Order: sequence, then structure tokens, then C-alpha cells
Amino acid sequence: MDEAIKKLHHDFIDQLSHIKSLSQIESIRIDYLGRQGKINGLFKKINEVPVNQRKIYGQNLNVLKKDVSRLIEDKLKELAESEEKERYVDTTLPGKKYQKGSLHPLTLAIEEVSSIFEKIGFIRVSYPEVEWEHFSFEALNMPKGHPARDDFETFFIDQAEDDKYGKVVLSPHTSSGQTREMHRVKTPPIKMINIAKCYRPNWDVSHAPMFFQFEGLCIDKGINITHLKGTIDYFVKEFYGQERQSRLRPFHFQFTEPSFEVDISCSLCHGKGEIKKQKCRMCKSGWLELGGAGMVHPNVLKAGGIDHQEYTGWAFGWGVERVFMMKENLNIEDMRILYSGDIRFLEQF
Amino acid sequence: MNIKITYNWLLEYLDTDANPYDIQKYLSLSGPSVEKVEKVDDDYVFDIEITSNRIDTASIIGIAQECVAILPQFGKKAELKFNPLDEYRFSRIPDGGTDCLKVKITSPKLCSRFTMIVLSDLEIRSAPQFIKERLVLCGIKSINNVVDISNYLMLSLGQPTHIFDFNKIKNLTMIMRESLKGEKITTLDEKEITLPGGDIVIEDGEGKLIDLCGIMGGLNSSISEKTKNVILFVQTYNKQLIRKTSMTTGQRTVAATYFEKGLDEERVETTLTYGVELLKQYAGGKIASKLYDIYPHPYKQKRISLKTDDLNRLIGVDIKKEILEKIISRLNFELTSFKGNSMTVTVPSYRQYDINIKEDLVEEIARIYGYHNLPNNLPPPAYVKQPKEMENLFKIQSKIKYFLKHAGLNESTNYSMISMEMIESLDLKVTDHLKLSNSISSDIEYLRTSLIPSLIRNIKSNEGKRDALRFFEIAKVYLPKKLSLPGEKYKLAIAINTEFGDLKGLIEILLAELNIDNYEIKKGKNSLMNPSVQGEIYVNGESLGSFGVLKSKYRIKNQLENDVYLAEFDLDILIKNYRLVAPYKPINPFAVIKLDLTFATINKMPFAVFRQKAFKTSKLLQKIELIGIYENKVSLRFFFSSTVRNINQEEAEKELEKFKALVLG
Repeated sequence: MDEAIKKLHHDFIDQLSHIKSLSQIESIRIDYLGRQGKINGLFKKINEVPVNQRKIYGQNLNVLKKDVSRLIEDKLKELAESEEKERYVDTTLPGKKYQKGSLHPLTLAIEEVSSIFEKIGFIRVSYPEVEWEHFSFEALNMPKGHPARDDFETFFIDQAEDDKYGKVVLSPHTSSGQTREMHRVKTPPIKMINIAKCYRPNWDVSHAPMFFQFEGLCIDKGINITHLKGTIDYFVKEFYGQERQSRLRPFHFQFTEPSFEVDISCSLCHGKGEIKKQKCRMCKSGWLELGGAGMVHPNVLKAGGIDHQEYTGWAFGWGVERVFMMKENLNIEDMRILYSGDIRFLEQF
Repeated sequence: MNIKITYNWLLEYLDTDANPYDIQKYLSLSGPSVEKVEKVDDDYVFDIEITSNRIDTASIIGIAQECVAILPQFGKKAELKFNPLDEYRFSRIPDGGTDCLKVKITSPKLCSRFTMIVLSDLEIRSAPQFIKERLVLCGIKSINNVVDISNYLMLSLGQPTHIFDFNKIKNLTMIMRESLKGEKITTLDEKEITLPGGDIVIEDGEGKLIDLCGIMGGLNSSISEKTKNVILFVQTYNKQLIRKTSMTTGQRTVAATYFEKGLDEERVETTLTYGVELLKQYAGGKIASKLYDIYPHPYKQKRISLKTDDLNRLIGVDIKKEILEKIISRLNFELTSFKGNSMTVTVPSYRQYDINIKEDLVEEIARIYGYHNLPNNLPPPAYVKQPKEMENLFKIQSKIKYFLKHAGLNESTNYSMISMEMIESLDLKVTDHLKLSNSISSDIEYLRTSLIPSLIRNIKSNEGKRDALRFFEIAKVYLPKKLSLPGEKYKLAIAINTEFGDLKGLIEILLAELNIDNYEIKKGKNSLMNPSVQGEIYVNGESLGSFGVLKSKYRIKNQLENDVYLAEFDLDILIKNYRLVAPYKPINPFAVIKLDLTFATINKMPFAVFRQKAFKTSKLLQKIELIGIYENKVSLRFFFSSTVRNINQEEAEKELEKFKALVLG
């Protein structure tokens, strides 16, 4: 029977030497090592072997089985290695082309701003863009004759005047939402963030006739300037980075008293105004203007039906474009490109 | 507005140990913003932003007063060396001239204070060196002694003046009145201006205009090298009329930017008095008329009361009484009483128009105390409920935007206003659109009622830049309503130039993303789309909007190279039918058999009809997929399985035979 084992061994070696692919290996493995395979066939014939030779026969068969397994493993490894060697892909070549798409940069800015305020309990609201003069001006302590109300500062709609609410305008600021929110909520607390399109008749490199503003309004008992300072500082640190500082300077708006201009420390010179004894090229003396803010004027609270003896509040209204560009250093030289629909601009975001 | 003044000029009024950079820093924190300091020779030029309510600070004396209020809080000395507002009173002008001019003011609303005086025997020459130098540093051209003195007065005191050549005033008459529409005047800059009417002007009594008041004098009464006798003319005008005239005539002069803010009538006295002194000293003038002063409503001292509780409530910190008193006095307010927690102050005349209520006083105290000295606190926590419809509007809108972006579309943001040309190029009705009455360009004259015209523009302007263009926009449209604000409705619009199947696939996957599956497609009726290549989607019986291909005639009219496939949907219908998740269906463990079939003429029967019939016919049919369309042939793949057992090939094929019959029959 030793002959049979030797022959099988010989046949296996011969067949293995002809194998070229991984699929052939599987069939030779089944042929020899499978349950119905040739080696098991020889094991089954052990009864035909004289009793005294059975032990040797069994040992030889086991040696053969191990040998075959090992050779198959080696062949597998050899084939895998040669297959790997044959393959080559230039990984620096571009992949399959997928359309990435893009969101408008102002969409990204608006989402960022609203999520920062959401974390401190401010709700986002939406109010008319085509608005009565009343909500855009009277209710904001800007009576008839105020310069902001003239033809050079506000777009008017060609429509009959309302006896109570005046003419129809394109809202020149998100502040028109202030007294609307007061009327909606009725009893403070009010914590609103209003982000919307606004319109003014300016059209040049630094102005588009349509732009976005975001308005914060907070009214409750005991709200004071320190809460405005704190909220602005929170926003500045969240939006621009923890290392940035904010400050308030006196300013003037009709609908707030006191009124402030908000500055943030410059990201280049960190509020120093100079870098290595050279004037900072980005800012005016270390600070950049962010926008206006103030304590809600008592006349505005009155117009919103809120008792100004009991409640106080603050508000701010800033341009989304400006605030966002200061963050990302987008350096958009011409504001009008935002609304141009130019694919070469849009696809970058 | 911004003004330029110099440090040395300021020191004429101000005694301080603060250097120019200290002044820049501290004034910016607590008062007017000093945007720039520039060293020029041995002087420094400040560039200062003046807020519209503080026109009193647009002068040397105004900034000196701000320094007195602000600098001591930063440990710097600041006192006035002398106060021209107290020193230069009419009592300094010797009496004795004659009443040589007839003056008539037709309406008291034009001019709240009118003063003038005639000076004779002047010599027109170059102004003294210090005046010339200072004006040039402050950005004003030096002309001659008389003109320079006028400008010097304005920068010193913040009150513009005008100087006429006395001998050019015919009839010795001045009638201040409102202009008539179409009247003409040639101003000093030799521009002939046609007046819109209602402008403040001075007429010489014979219908000739000699001054466009508060803006610029008339050329016909201006001083020249030969001038000997002049009228020094100092007024405060109706600020609204000045602004209106200045804006409508485009004459944005420096004088106008002062007058349109509303000036202090009391300072007219100081300015005229100081003006007479300068003209006497530097032009050799002699007083030659009486002093004219028409001042119907002299300033009455104004008082404001404030409780310290209210002050502290708004500022958020308690300010000590001694500090409070110091701040108030440095601001030149007079504390008339301070009992308990209640105080009353008088308001200086130059603050009469900006200090009206107690909050104005709070601002004054708080800014001098220093905003930088206040802590930062977040508002106390308080829950405010966001209305569900507002929450959904933003949340689902954002989901849609991100989904479409990831599907490869580019979001566009267009102006809400469009042109008449855009409206007409699509045969839309101009009268259906709200019109701006004061648009600045015909490109932005009407409020859009659809996003499609803008997106067609986007496709057009990008043709040739990229082969495949796929845009979307979510924005409001504005639907006019009689006697009320328009309906503002959010729309989602898509415009692509690839193929119809691309658009249809996008719509299907968007609806799937929002878990909206109960919709049907009917024949569309959008006037912009080809009637035979458009559909209208109904969700739960409500119209969501239409999709289809732009009509060929509009493609041609808009000079588009390729077909444009369009969709416009109501955002609120999408929001209303949005579901976070679709109902879960258990996974079917039994075998699925897929069979393909190509129909030659499925277009005789709309797919939706065939689909409905197929599902009715076969209990084993689970799903139908479109494999491809080639000419008129449509290849479909059918998925068969049972939810209770494994089916075999023959069973599936039998079902397929029934479908063939459906199409044939």
C-alpha cells in the first residue's frame, strides 16, 4: 500500500506544479483533502492493510496529508503574492467623478449663527420682508421725516398707503421683527434670533441691494448692559474662536438707548494694532467693527405692547455677509458676486 | 460723517496731559470713534467719526468738551482753557450800524434762527498762515482770508456760515422762502441747479435766487477779489428740508451734512460773534449794520430726572454717588437736585435735541463710566417656545438643502427683484407683480412671483462655463394682495440642463428622502412648460407643483442653447407631508425572482396607469424598476415574491405574461 501513497504524493506534486490560478487550487484541495477526497479514500482502505502494518500506514498517510496541506498553503501564498505583484494602480489618478454640489455660503453662515444662539435658548423666527412702514420705522422710534425713511435709504412698493400702518416697504433691516415678536409673545421672556433678507437702494462693490441681517432680541425682567456684553462675547468666542475679544463703543441708533458699536479684536495683530512694529494691514488700531447693538428704546417696548417700567431688553442687528467674511477671511472684493449665480463662485462652497 | 481736526488746534481750547494716541484710544472707547491719527510735521491730524445725534461734537470745541468728559476717567487731566460758548456773546459786538437790509422770512418752519451782520472795507487777501495751515491739514482748500475764515468758524464751532458780497444784493432785500418747482440757481461751484421745489432759498426781491440755503451760496452774490463789503450770515435751518434738497440735487456739501442733523440755535450767537472778530482782525472789516437776529423761540432750559435705581437697573452695576456727580458735571450737565435716589439735571443747549428721556442720560453716564468696566454676563436662563411651524420651516428646509447639495446640485441665491424684461420673456403678467416705486435699476424693479425666471437666468449666464448645470433655490415669492401686505410663500425650484430623467430622478429621491410616498402625478398646467412634457405632483390630494421642460419658444426667446428642465414646488406642502421615518416593513425572507421585459409602445399607456394595473393583476409583484429607455422602447424589471413561501420561476413567468396582455389590451 505504500506504493499507493507514494503514487498519490507523486501525482499531487505533478498536478500542483501545473496550477496557475487561485480557483484551480480550490479544486485540487477538494480533490485531495476533501471529505470524499483521495487521501480520505486511502484512509478508508486501512482495513485492507495487514494489521501489523496499519500503524505505519496510518502514520505515512498523516504525513502525506500534512505535506499536501502545507504545499497547498505555500502555493496559495505564492499565487497571492504573484497576483499582487501583477497589479498596479496609480493612486494619484482622479477617481470616479461624483457631483459634489454646493450650498450658498450665506446658507452656511446662517446655520452657524442660529446654532450658536440656539444653545443659549434663542429661537429663530421669520417675519415679513415686505413690510409696513409702521413696523420698519414708527415702532422703532423713527418718526416721519427721519432720514432712514427717505427714498435714498429704503425701497418703497408702489401700493396704496394704509391709514394705520403707512406705506409698504422692503424691510431695510431685520429690526422690523422686533415689535412683531413682542406682539406674538406678549409676555416676556423674549429671546429671538431673526435672520432674513433685507433691502436698501445701494448697488456697488461693497453693497448689494439685497443682503442678509441677523437680529438678536432679549427682553425680560432685569436685563441690562452686562447681559448684552456677555452674549456678544459668547457669540464672538463661539463664532470666531476663544482667543478673540469683544468690546462696546458708544454709538447712535434710534431704536436703542444706550446704543453701541461692537468691535472684535483683530485676528492678525490680536488687538495690538501692530505686528513687529509695523501697522497691522487688516484692522484699524487692533479692532474690527462687527455691527450695532443697544438697549431696547422704551418707545420700542411701548410700540410692542411691553411694559417698559417692568421689562428691559437688548437688541443687535448685524450683516450676515460682513460677519461671515470676517470669520473666514473670504476676501470677497465685490459683494455682488454673492448674488450673481456664477457657477464658478457657487461651486467653491 | 467724519471730520478732521488737529491736536494743536484742540490744545488751543484744551489743557491736557494726554498725548494724541491717548486721546484716540480713550475717546474711541467712551465717545466719538477716532479712526486715525496721523503725524504731520509738528502736529497730529485726527480723523473722527461723528454719529448723527452728536453733531455738536463735529468741531474743535465739541471734541474738547468730549475730552473733558472722558479723559479724567482714564486718569488724564482735561480742562477747557476757555469756553468760546460762554465768551463769544453778542454783547461783544459794538452797537451802531444801520438797518440797511430788508429781511422777510415767509414761513417760520424754514429757519429757527436767522442772524447776519454787514462788515465794510474789507481787504481780500491771503488768510494768516496758521488758519491756512490748519485748514489744509483738515482737508480744506485755502482760498482767501474771507472764505477761509468761514471754514475756520465751521471747524472751530461746528456751525457753517455763509458770506455774501453785500454790493451784489440788489434792492438790499432778502426774502427767505421755499423754492418753486423748476426754479434755477447757479451755485458757487458754477453748476446750474434746477430745484425740485420746497427748498429753502433766498430771493433778492426781484425773483432772482441768491442762495441755496444751508447747501451752497449763489454765484451771483459770491465774494471775489474785488469785494469790499460783506454780509456774515449765520442760521439754523429746518433739517429735513436741507437733507431733502441736498439729496435730490446731489449737492452733498459739508455745510449740508451739518445743517441736516439739526444745529443748536444758541451756537449761532457764538459763531457770529467770533466771526466778526476774525473778519475784523484778519480782513480789516468794520461793522456796518445793526445785528440782525430773528429767533422766534429762544432755547428754554431743559430738565431730565432720573432715579439711580433705573440707572443701575439698565447698566447692571451700582455706580457710587460721588462718581455719578463727577461724571454729570464733566458732561456739562448741571445737577439741580439729588435727593434720595432721585436726581434732576439741566441739559446744555447743544444737547437739547439728543437728550430727551432718562435713558439718554443713562447712556451718557454709562459711556463715561466706561463700558469696558462692566462685566460680561449671559442673560439668565429662560425657556421660550419656538412655534412648531417656524421650527419646521428651518429644520426641514435645511434637510432639503443639504440633500440637494449632496445630490450634486448647486444652491443659488438670487435677488427677490427681477426686471420687466425677465417677466415679459416668459409671457408672465407684469401687473401680477409688486413694483418698487423707487428702484435704482430696471434690473430690480419687480418682486418675483416665481423663482423660475431667476434660475433660467442662472442657467443662461453659466452656459459654456460648465456642461452640466444643476441649480436649486429656496426662497420666498411675493403674491400681491389688495390693501394688505403680499402673501410671502416659500418655494423650492430646480433648474437643470441635462435631461428630463435627471430631473425626475432628483424629484423622486427628494420625496423619498422626506418619506413622502403617497403622491401621484397628473398632467401639468404650468404656462412656462411644454404641455406634453410636464407633470403636476399631488401629495394627499394637494398640488405640490409642476415639473417639466421649458417651452421651446421661451428657450428661444431667452437665447438658451439647451433645453432647461424645471420644477417649482410649494415648500409648505413638502414640510406638511414630511415624516422623520417611514413605517417599518418586516424584511421578507422568501426568494425574489427578477424578470425583465421590454415594451415596444408603453407610451400609449402612461407608466403610472400600467403600474397600477400591474399591481392589481399580480399578487406576487413587489416592485417595478426602470432599466432603460431606448427610442420608444421601455425596459422594466419586475420583482416577484411571496410573503409566505418561496415561489418558482414558472409562477413568476406566468405573472409576466399577464402584464404583456395588459399592454396589448
